[in-house]
Amino acid sequence: MIPNVQTCSRCIMDTTAPDIVFDEQGICNYCSDFLRKKEKHLPFDENERLRRLNGLVAMVKEAGKGKKYDCIVGLSGGVDSSWSLVQAVRLGLRPLAVHMDSGWNSELAQNNIANLVRGLNVDLYTHVIDWPEIRGLMEAFFASDVIDVEVLYDNAMLAVNYQQAARHGLKYILAGTNIATEGVDIPSTWNWHKADKRNIIGISKRFGGPRLKSFPSLSTLDMVRYIGVNRIKWVSFLDYLDYRKSDALEVLQRDFGYKPYAHKHYESVFTRFYQGYLQPYKFGVDKRKPHLSSLIMTGEMTRDEALERAAGIAYPSEKDMEADRLYFIKKMGWSEEKFADYIARPERPHTDYPSEAAFFQKLLALYRRMNLKVGRLVWK
Amino acid sequence: MLTHRVIPCLLLSESRGGLVKTMKFGKPKYVGDPINAVKIFNEKEVDELMILDIDATRENRGPDFDLIEQLASECFMPLCYGGGIRTAEEALKLFSLGVEKVSLQSAVARNPGIVREIADHAGEQAVVVSIDVKRGWLGKLQAFSATGVKPGQSDWRQAVRDAVANGAGEILLNAVDRDGTLAGPDLELIREASQIADVPLVAVGGISSLADIKAATDAGASAVAAGAYFVFQGPHRAVLITYPQYDQLRALWSDAE
Repeated sequence: MIPNVQTCSRCIMDTTAPDIVFDEQGICNYCSDFLRKKEKHLPFDENERLRRLNGLVAMVKEAGKGKKYDCIVGLSGGVDSSWSLVQAVRLGLRPLAVHMDSGWNSELAQNNIANLVRGLNVDLYTHVIDWPEIRGLMEAFFASDVIDVEVLYDNAMLAVNYQQAARHGLKYILAGTNIATEGVDIPSTWNWHKADKRNIIGISKRFGGPRLKSFPSLSTLDMVRYIGVNRIKWVSFLDYLDYRKSDALEVLQRDFGYKPYAHKHYESVFTRFYQGYLQPYKFGVDKRKPHLSSLIMTGEMTRDEALERAAGIAYPSEKDMEADRLYFIKKMGWSEEKFADYIARPERPHTDYPSEAAFFQKLLALYRRMNLKVGRLVWK
Repeated sequence: MLTHRVIPCLLLSESRGGLVKTMKFGKPKYVGDPINAVKIFNEKEVDELMILDIDATRENRGPDFDLIEQLASECFMPLCYGGGIRTAEEALKLFSLGVEKVSLQSAVARNPGIVREIADHAGEQAVVVSIDVKRGWLGKLQAFSATGVKPGQSDWRQAVRDAVANGAGEILLNAVDRDGTLAGPDLELIREASQIADVPLVAVGGISSLADIKAATDAGASAVAAGAYFVFQGPHRAVLITYPQYDQLRALWSDAE
């Protein structure tokens, strides 16, 4: 692991994030960026928040008139997306819940999804990627030694949400993405651009992986089409809801028999193993730091508490960690040698392989320069 | 312990790369990777699981022992396997890999003696004979085979009697017209079959609710197996693995206890 030499005095980000800088009080750029983002995107008071929320609900209802559904809510089974679905229904919206299954769903996730869609009487759409195909893609990503294996899941998840929105003629995707629990950025070297279809195809080709068949991919141009032509808006819905994770969890457990789990994104067995084992031991990265730092910045958790929760292994016990490791090896069909070899090999950057990230950045810069308003909501 | 078993029935199709769910024995829809499904059912504390390879006999091959070994080792509950078993040796090999019961159909049509042969080695409780029953175009119920191997006995009632006489410990009775439809079980069929068979009868086909499970056991089934009910959710047939809570199942038969 990369040794840590300094930790921020306000949040718990540290020098394992390569581009971290500290001011004279020892406060880092990550939590400072959080505050800037919050000021720019979150409403400044309760009245303003409600005004925006009511505005959003009215727009979604208007756009959904005469349709079976009026919006898409992506549902992973985690707290953020579960809460989005509950609130959408309580606000009188008619969401279609969309779930992406990459073959690593945990019983917790399945249980939570079942309780929610049945309890709320919401229709569910699930896209299941053929396991041999996603396994082949994962094999190629492991062979490439790039850090962000989760690009596969995230890309497919984004694609399924946009596809379903387009198919049903819906304009709004209410997503569990939010500033409250995700506002402290993941350092740019810890993950990769999620709409990089070229990277997925390039890595698969290079390492003898499969062609994309049941994998619902999303490229930069697909995104441009969904946003520009289909006029679909991705809404970070929880930012409208005065979202507090602990309160949400309480209601979900009480009303929907929700089963919580140890850390953010642990609803998928692979994500759990990736964040709790592969990232720390192969890449020297611990995503608990930015996740918990967000909760410090919203005042939901003290810094001491966060430090405590980020200490030690990212599993409740060594036994749980080993159980996941053995399951991973078995499901992938790996040997212990192959696993040890993978962990020991140095990381390679995503840019060693074909990529459309630079193209995306160019378009994004252009979009910002032209001050286009499509694809997102703007509040005056 | 519950008075009746409720068994998820998973269909394996290697040509489709994993588990599928069919509709009236056709239109297989991919529902996921068997290892992950078994893991989820483990954590749901299901008391028995059934895995049927629907390609093996059609492809004229035996069971995929490597895969079954993996599944059996992941599976904490008793596992019943069916599909492609041609000889007693193959059945015994499956037991050695951790499979608790084998389900036979085409093998019985070819050689009825195989039931006794396996039962002599492993006990009758380990041998399930599966009988698929389909309505003909005049509505008459007949034994049916989806594999191309002609049923040894086209009269389904006689097929049940023969299976019991040959030493089957259990009959798996599949109402083909209800398969995957979630339209409710064929209660008339179950009622009649349960009167003929004096071994446990596992009814499968059409189950869509707890009430259906109750109706099937009231009609005489000792156990109920279901596929679509445990893997699909709602009008889009969204893949979602579920299983009733223990208390919900217990409440179904609480009067009888």
